[in-house]
Amino acid sequence: MKMATANKSKRTRKSSAPAYVPPKKLPISFTVNGQEVNAEAPAHTTLLYLLRDLGFTEVKNGCEAGDCGACTILLDGLAMNACCALGVQAEGREITTVKGIGTVDNLHPIQVKFIEHGAIQCGFCTPGMIVAAKELLDLTPNPSRHEIKAGIAGNLCRCTGYVKIIDAIEAAAEELSSKKGKRK
Amino acid sequence: MRGFDFVAPTSISATLKAAKGRSTKFIAGGTNFLPDLRHQHDGPAKVVIDLMRVSALQGISSSKGVVKMGALTTMTDFLTNKIILKEAPILAAMSEKFAGPIIRNRATLAGNIIDGGPAADAIPPLLALKAKVRLASEKGRRTVDLDKFLTGYRQTAIRSDELITAVTFPSPGRSHKWGYYKLARRNAMAITVVGVAVVLKVRRKKVEEAGISLGSVTAAPIRCYEAEKILEGNVVDLELAQKAAEACAAVATPIDDIRASAEYRKLMCEVLPRRLICQALDISQDNE
Repeated sequence: MKMATANKSKRTRKSSAPAYVPPKKLPISFTVNGQEVNAEAPAHTTLLYLLRDLGFTEVKNGCEAGDCGACTILLDGLAMNACCALGVQAEGREITTVKGIGTVDNLHPIQVKFIEHGAIQCGFCTPGMIVAAKELLDLTPNPSRHEIKAGIAGNLCRCTGYVKIIDAIEAAAEELSSKKGKRK
Repeated sequence: MRGFDFVAPTSISATLKAAKGRSTKFIAGGTNFLPDLRHQHDGPAKVVIDLMRVSALQGISSSKGVVKMGALTTMTDFLTNKIILKEAPILAAMSEKFAGPIIRNRATLAGNIIDGGPAADAIPPLLALKAKVRLASEKGRRTVDLDKFLTGYRQTAIRSDELITAVTFPSPGRSHKWGYYKLARRNAMAITVVGVAVVLKVRRKKVEEAGISLGSVTAAPIRCYEAEKILEGNVVDLELAQKAAEACAAVATPIDDIRASAEYRKLMCEVLPRRLICQALDISQDNE
């Protein structure tokens, strides 16, 4: 075993250490906001880092431990923390980030209401918060305030105290359900 | 961090073959795997095997009075699956308190059992339901009682060549009574201070069969056999509920940590089981 040589004197350790071999890169193909992406990354790259390195920096890096929800994305329609998956696990999957929900020129009602209600202060939690709100409203079109709180329980905001965010989601739900007939 | 190889098989046999004779670690939802990975400078293993594409590990079914949940059942499945809502609503009540909605979409049943430790929230309700763990290896399959499967602090009876394929429990019947409580500092994303699960089969006011378990107060969640025996075969009143609750507290060996003191936890191991037993059986508690 190579370990045995490492235990010799300090002087020889450096030269006998195995040469650094960069981890093998694996090909990964998936879609982000409907756009096909072909990437390469070592197996240990988290989905969060993979997305950010590809330029999808709207997926924010907060805690990297699944606690804060800043990196919330939709994977095949289900909200999840991008920091809690390996990039290679996304092979063949459909990912939606906040930019897939609405763009600057064509804002989604959730985004409009976030702006109107001042639910954005520093803005760091907002991309994840909007993705979580999108999943919530997809599953529960007319949530109670309690259901809204439960729906964004995995997303931390340190600015707003949540009241404005809950107001915004409530208003978005109203707007979406009143528009429903016209939209689809 | 040292890199690793990655494979994503689609069948149980291919998974077991990939794991054979190598240093391997399984990944599914990743909600424990990835946070842990940050602290593992040598990497988790030589090979990481993704289970998310193994369809045989998915799905919930029920036949002949036994409910079978695939290893990849997520916490969200517990909240939405009709079989679970009908047969064991205690699992839905647990899932509602499990981390947050985004974690619940990914966190799996087998992952919580194999990796979760003393505060693994899915375990107490499963212990109270007398669940069994189904394991597969290239040598064959076996089934182990969940309480025997948990052998110590983050330790289980799983062998290095084995994989959890499913968790089963006997249906407690439509008229069973149950109670679940997660005592924690917050309503979401909290680590449990004390978790209590109670499942009671009642016939003509008599408790025929009881399942009571505690989480977060021992090295691994435990069943309270003494407390179960005290209730079984009896028409339970407040006095008997109190006796059972004391038997629960007797097996708890909690520790002090940042979330609560051992003393407080020990006290709650008496208060909460009594409260849940009384609520489940409609016994009035004049002191509360």
